[in-house]
Amino acid sequence: MSRDIDKTPDLHGPQDEELLQELRAAARRFDPPPDAVLEAARASLTWRTIDAELAALEFDSVVDLAAGAVRSGEGPRLLTFAAPGLSIEVEVSPSGPRRQLVGQLVPAQPARIDVRHAGGVTTVQADQLGRFDADAISAGPVSLRCHLGDTPSSLPVVTEWIPL
Amino acid sequence: MGAIDVRDLARAAAAGDQHGWDGLVERFGELVWSTTRAYGLSPGEGADAAQTTWLRLAEQLGHLKDQHERIGVWLAATARRESLRLLGAARGVAAATPRPATEPPPGPPGAGEQGREALLWRVVRELPEHCRRLLRVLLTVPPPSHDEVSAALDLPVAGIAAARDACLQDFRHRMSDFSIRADADDS
Repeated sequence: MSRDIDKTPDLHGPQDEELLQELRAAARRFDPPPDAVLEAARASLTWRTIDAELAALEFDSVVDLAAGAVRSGEGPRLLTFAAPGLSIEVEVSPSGPRRQLVGQLVPAQPARIDVRHAGGVTTVQADQLGRFDADAISAGPVSLRCHLGDTPSSLPVVTEWIPL
Repeated sequence: MGAIDVRDLARAAAAGDQHGWDGLVERFGELVWSTTRAYGLSPGEGADAAQTTWLRLAEQLGHLKDQHERIGVWLAATARRESLRLLGAARGVAAATPRPATEPPPGPPGAGEQGREALLWRVVRELPEHCRRLLRVLLTVPPPSHDEVSAALDLPVAGIAAARDACLQDFRHRMSDFSIRADADDS
């Protein structure tokens, strides 16, 4: 079978860049970023927290972060976030299209916690033992903003966004 | 849009300027989307990964002052990480609620430019995975830099041009096979 593409009318003469341009047009036609995705992206700026300590994800029961591999396991998902001087442990249970969160601040302390999620902001209170729970959290990206009770003048702690 | 413009957008966005932020979305929205799709996420999953990527940028932009010029690379790497995270979570978490699929409607078959683009797109989707993935990221407007492609796909920069050339060659072979088959069908 001849593979002389110059003899094939459809592909007469295109250089790689011309071909890529055609393919880009096809990509834009058949798989552009949906408007809703771009709108959500533009709206993301309003979710940022100024002047906060960022608590990074240190442990995720679903993913072995070091190996980048998926763990096999059952039961609720366990997440641990860490900032200097504070750990936040969260247990996530699915409840249909929503998520239920049960959490613990370490060291134990009261705090006002804003759970930021696709459905808005749900504010809950961590008790003296640092325990809190939140219901009816929308699936999707979630971040907790913790206003610690012990030292009200300190910066809030914000967990990095995690899709739940 | 040159490198200077991206720095200006990032600096404005870091200061809370919505206009600057919107400029970043316009500049890199396709790159983030293409990266999620390159990893085979469904449109719903791609939307989640894209949203998490942009939320992360909003959160961390203030801490990325010395990277404003390379925000595209940061976004590509983050989109990659979020895509892998979703792929992993989908396998690992039981009984997650399925996200509604919103597949784009199939393109109309037929002649003319639309028909040709549909054919091109079909052939792209039939490429072996490494080529499909590479081309999906390359087919971004504006075209990504080699550093951005490298970050999106975890490929060494030095190999990208050769891989692209090889994949386009494969693509052309498949297109010519397709034309030959189509001609044979017509006869």
